[in-house]
Amino acid sequence: MQFEPVVLFFLLGVFAGLVRSDLKIPGSIYEALSIFLLLAIGLQGGVKLAEFPLSELILPSLAILFVGSLLPLLMFPVLRYLGRMTRADSASMAAHYGSVSVVTFSVGVALLAQEDVDFEGFMIVFLVLLEMPALVIGVMLARFGVGKVRWGKMFHEVFFGKSILLLAGGLVIGFVAGMEGIKPLDILFFDLFKGILALFLLEMGLVAASRIAGLRTYGVFLTTFAVVAPLLSAVIGTILGWALGLSVGGTMLLATLYASASYIAAPAAMRIAVPEANPALSIGASLGITFPFNIFVGIPIYFWMAKFIHSIGG
Amino acid sequence: MQAQPMTLLVIVSEAVLEDILIDEITELGAKGYTITEARGRGTHGTRAGRWTQGGNIRIEVVGNTQLCSQIVKRLQAAYEKDYGLLMYTAPIELQN
Repeated sequence: MQFEPVVLFFLLGVFAGLVRSDLKIPGSIYEALSIFLLLAIGLQGGVKLAEFPLSELILPSLAILFVGSLLPLLMFPVLRYLGRMTRADSASMAAHYGSVSVVTFSVGVALLAQEDVDFEGFMIVFLVLLEMPALVIGVMLARFGVGKVRWGKMFHEVFFGKSILLLAGGLVIGFVAGMEGIKPLDILFFDLFKGILALFLLEMGLVAASRIAGLRTYGVFLTTFAVVAPLLSAVIGTILGWALGLSVGGTMLLATLYASASYIAAPAAMRIAVPEANPALSIGASLGITFPFNIFVGIPIYFWMAKFIHSIGG
Repeated sequence: MQAQPMTLLVIVSEAVLEDILIDEITELGAKGYTITEARGRGTHGTRAGRWTQGGNIRIEVVGNTQLCSQIVKRLQAAYEKDYGLLMYTAPIELQN
């Protein structure tokens, strides 16, 4: 099974956090790292997108968005009735798990680069598109017409928050500049990508370590959900990716997108729109369990699933 | 200029609420405020400030007693239930 060494930095961060090392990535550095990652991913997608006829994107986009919106709707009843969580908590969890994680996606991209497997550049467009619908569905599930929602504030947070702004901005800049135009920026945004990702994972490990202590309180249901939900979502993603005619790399990244859970955009959006949901539950599950599961175990499995379905399905 | 008696209101809350709280405060008539990023621990657990939304902010407002109590009432009614929120006032002497 393929393994991307960059994830070891996450373990180092977890270890540092657990032994209470004084290691701390300063907030401003963390901000700078995340700005870099978002722009680099956006640019990478934009450059690849420039070589692709956009009209062919519409149908797969609709299919991927539609299925992506179904995922939180399928998860909500499981959380609500099987997990006996409150309506607000179930809705917030469904939103976190329906939305996507840029860093998980980045680890997937890094693995593909290591294995020398190409992927469709427009996958980054889906990364941008898939962040939003689950959040809206989550809020609607929590409300069902009762109670007032700060929609305006939430939409502003999501659309003009830095993650969508930088991803979409990088995508457009990469698209306009094209492969040749972006050359002068290659060293910064493409060659250094893995190194910066390593530093970012180190910080994520530190944050995740602070969540691990709380894991015992989550119980069996939430822990199981945090592992099984991404696996099932990935199976759906693999089948859809193959059905849409994506390459092995593209199929694997779609599975990774569906499997990943948000821990940056979703917590902020849910905190504003569904304040009565307990943020510790959803962030703890997505960051403390699902994220490490995905980067260590999930992504290699999704890669294998993508190769498998292409080998039997052609 | 002689020192004027005023009230200092300090609000410690979640960083994610920053824009919302500022809107409320200015709407009620505060002429200014000072925000600092904060970390700490309270009934809502440790707010380590590691992630943008995991941190706290500390808002200081200087105004007359009436304005400060209006702000306290408004914020208490709207945010105390679901968010980490700590507010306190102190009499101060404004020096300039």
